[in-house]
Amino acid sequence: MTKKLFFVLALMLLASCVLCAQTPGNAAPAEPFDPRPLAAGLSMAIASGLCGLGQGKAIASAVEGMGRNPGAAAVIQLAMLIGLAFVESLALFTFLIVFLFVK
Amino acid sequence: MQESELWITRIFNDRFGDLGNAALQLVGIHPQARPWANYILMQFLVFVLLVVIFAVLRARLSAANPGKLQQTFELFYGFVRGQAENQMGHSALRYLSFFGTIFIFILVSNLIGLIPVFESPTMNAPVTLGCAMATFLYYHLMGVQTHGFKYILQFMGPKWWLAFLMFPIEIVSHLARPLALTIRLFANMFAGEQVTLVFVGLTYLGVPVLFMVLHAFVSVVQAYIFMLLTMFYVGSAVSHEH
Repeated sequence: MTKKLFFVLALMLLASCVLCAQTPGNAAPAEPFDPRPLAAGLSMAIASGLCGLGQGKAIASAVEGMGRNPGAAAVIQLAMLIGLAFVESLALFTFLIVFLFVK
Repeated sequence: MQESELWITRIFNDRFGDLGNAALQLVGIHPQARPWANYILMQFLVFVLLVVIFAVLRARLSAANPGKLQQTFELFYGFVRGQAENQMGHSALRYLSFFGTIFIFILVSNLIGLIPVFESPTMNAPVTLGCAMATFLYYHLMGVQTHGFKYILQFMGPKWWLAFLMFPIEIVSHLARPLALTIRLFANMFAGEQVTLVFVGLTYLGVPVLFMVLHAFVSVVQAYIFMLLTMFYVGSAVSHEH
């Protein structure tokens, strides 16, 4: 089942290479390819995704701790919020870099 | 990179442009067309607001029957003192004034951006850099004040023969602290405003209010985290464990 899936995907990749081929001359760009918006989007996506994973782990252990020890819920909630803010700030460093280097 | 001027900035640039240029020339910057920036004036506004509030509070302090203002600020004081005693133990009282000032200044600066006519001064890097440098200088000064010149021994690490390795590592980590403080606060406020602006252009009338609520929550949390980190740095600088 997986082998067939990979075979079909490889065929589609080859087909896309053939189909997207262009004759040179009518696709020459006036200016060189500017990778900055693409880099901005990709880097922000990676940063946000990994930040989401990290924050999910923090919230998961905080909620489990609150379930085990409901009396300590206030302290655990406070520690969870602090941890979330630290991880959030890492994703925001990336956002800042995007804003500084992409017009 | 000032996109638009607030009404205060326009008034100051029109009337008091020469005063701004004189102040800039004191530090060696050439005179410019419109010298007053948004964040300078918003910082002054926050400063004046806080001084007025605290002057009124001081005049109305009473142990027998406290008014509402006094009770509100007693809540603030209790909160800051509780956090400081958690972080630093009983020597926290000497440093409470700085912690409280940093907390209330950053909190009011962050929240004033939610009012439509004003702008958060902490949305600009120079302001948060100022707060971070104040914290940096303060905790080093408190460390030197407590330990004398033996404060430098804290950078040497636990064993004397590791000092050549520990010293650069400690220097780098101490320099990373104001950098992280600056960028954390600046990026949070800047991102909150940008996200709200993007959604104002994208959806209907009332939807960006959700992002403004998130921004208000983030403002409070970031002010609290700045204060918490300040307490932690001061606590580690004046601690007597080594």
